[in-house]
Amino acid sequence: MSEPVVQIQNLSIDYVIGAGRFRAVSGVSFDVPQGHVVGIVGETGCGKSTLAQAIPRLLPEPPATIGEGSVIFRGTDLVQVPLWKMPRIRGTGINMIFQEPLNSLNPAFRIYDQVAEAIHIRRVRERGNLVVDRREKPPFDYSRRPTATSGEALTRSVLPPVAAEKAARHRTDSDGTIRGEVLDYLRLVRINDPETILNLYPHELSGGMRQRVMIAMALSEKPELLIADEPTSALDVTIQAQVLTLMKELIEEVHTSILFISHDLGVIAETADELGVMYAGKLVEFGPVAELFEHPRHPYTKALLGAAPTRYKSEGPLATIAGNVPNLSHPPSGCRFHPRCPIARPRCTVMPGPPLELVAGASEGHRSACYFPEEVASIP
Amino acid sequence: MGRSLTDFTVFVLKRLLQLIPVLLGITILTFVFTHLSAKNVCNAWFPHADPTTIANCNARVSQPIVNQYWTYLTDLLHGNWGASVQGVAVYPQIAAGVPATLELVLSALFLMIVIGIPLGVIAAQSAGRWGDHLVRIFYLSGWATPTYLGAVLAAVFVAPYFGLPSHGEYATNPPPFPQYTHMSVLDALLAGNLAWTGDAISHLILPAATLAFINMGIATRMTRSSMLEVIPLDYVKSARMKGLSEFWVMYKHALRNSLITTTTVLGLTAGGLLAGTVVIEEVFGWPGVGAFAFTAIGGGGSPPNFDGAIAVVAVFAVGVVVANLIADILYGLLDPRVDWR
Repeated sequence: MSEPVVQIQNLSIDYVIGAGRFRAVSGVSFDVPQGHVVGIVGETGCGKSTLAQAIPRLLPEPPATIGEGSVIFRGTDLVQVPLWKMPRIRGTGINMIFQEPLNSLNPAFRIYDQVAEAIHIRRVRERGNLVVDRREKPPFDYSRRPTATSGEALTRSVLPPVAAEKAARHRTDSDGTIRGEVLDYLRLVRINDPETILNLYPHELSGGMRQRVMIAMALSEKPELLIADEPTSALDVTIQAQVLTLMKELIEEVHTSILFISHDLGVIAETADELGVMYAGKLVEFGPVAELFEHPRHPYTKALLGAAPTRYKSEGPLATIAGNVPNLSHPPSGCRFHPRCPIARPRCTVMPGPPLELVAGASEGHRSACYFPEEVASIP
Repeated sequence: MGRSLTDFTVFVLKRLLQLIPVLLGITILTFVFTHLSAKNVCNAWFPHADPTTIANCNARVSQPIVNQYWTYLTDLLHGNWGASVQGVAVYPQIAAGVPATLELVLSALFLMIVIGIPLGVIAAQSAGRWGDHLVRIFYLSGWATPTYLGAVLAAVFVAPYFGLPSHGEYATNPPPFPQYTHMSVLDALLAGNLAWTGDAISHLILPAATLAFINMGIATRMTRSSMLEVIPLDYVKSARMKGLSEFWVMYKHALRNSLITTTTVLGLTAGGLLAGTVVIEEVFGWPGVGAFAFTAIGGGGSPPNFDGAIAVVAVFAVGVVVANLIADILYGLLDPRVDWR
């Protein structure tokens, strides 16, 4: 198996507000493997968005500070990289789709200019001017028309294997101009006549269209890691379904490694390979998505799955998890889930929460932060 | 969408039509005030005018004030802007002064934009830290300086320190070339004389810088506060996520949206800038309408020139209205969401 795109190790993020200080994310560790979609779910306020924005160092520092841990990307620890060097990593290295398509496109610029800017940045870097690791992004000759044959020949002969794969997976039918490529990427996100929207401003598009443009913009930089921070949450349900279908299709077509943040288990179930469940700033369970859905090994995951409404269970009140999300400035002692946990024992209230450990007897890579993972199955 | 050329033209024409009531009101007010300021206007002229002028004046003043205003207005519409006591016509002085004042005000505005706005960006980027405090000290010290004090200090202390001239438009007055536009730098350029252009610029620097320094605070402060509103927004984050450097994120994506509010406020400073010229031009011997206004209201012991005073106030009023119209047009151009209707 190839090296993971990004390795997050024991990452903790604090917010310092006035004299107060609270840990929004504490000791989170997981990898995003090459070409995989990793989902992170959790309730509002569990730190999943903070985690997503901390990876490309997008959090305002202050008030946020990365307390400890590391984010290994391209062999460097992003936590140690000075902020002024981060732009070289953002864009072509790590890209992001935001929650609010209403706000994530600049209202003052036309659609064309915004997408073209992203493509321009990528092209400049591909020419080798700002490439951090030259082996990863070899110069690409844009003066040639990348027709299907010449493009394939190019990927096979000139580029090293990893880059060849990357060039092949993103190859489009553009005529080589930036405008052609903008149109290609807009068509990629199923915008049928992209010419008609090139000169429009974001406010002249619907929410779903804007999110499509946003996705096109992010993909056009051919990022190694794409972070989708609740990309469908702010949309109407019907539009949500459309954008989600699009995302699923694109995941098949583009093969980028994706970190998919959501509070919607259904969305994650349909898209992710691996799933991480966050509770009160901690990753409580991580593993292959099917395994996690069928055999949850943490009581919170079990409760979360039980609370998800399904269309087959339309009668009676919706299941809920008793109690409230803890206040992160005064987290509960011991395991953070113990006040709401049906199988909590005295040790759970006193001992510090257990680390995320491989569960004995579960399938490969399934980790849980519970002292009694084998008892979870017996919770009604 | 109300963003077609027709909508735009209608918008501009409507705004220009608003000039008519504004000008009527402003001339009525200044006419009444100037004529109330002296019990007998003609006596105020007394030592400077010959008996026939005073007799004519008395004949005019004995009329009801409404008739007097009507006479003034019809004269004005026929191109007769009145004259001073000594019989010097107002119109040629205004015509020569407006371009000079425009040159001064536009130069000050230019400095406010190229210095004040980046300072606002720097203050927003370092909000709450020393960069922010330094910028605040800088613009507040300008804001707190009375115009006359700033002008005198600049002329007396700053000018010799930098070896800059502090009086007039050129080293000699008049300069050895024709003044077609009455804008000092432009005239020197039209004459094709680079040495005189440099001389004109060196004469322009101090009055323009003083005027800018005193009025810059508002531009800096507005830029700072609107940048602080824009920076946390998602589109600034998505600009960062494109891989743009912080400079382009700030000066292209964030500032472009902050300028929308700053532009409106810059339009509102037009009144302050024009009012500032009255003192600045007098101190720096700048031959604009500001200096003319100073003498017209009896500054420096000169006899009051009521026709001149009314004309200057009207010209300033037009300046303020037009400046705000331009600001509104720029606002619409900067913000594609604005509807011209």
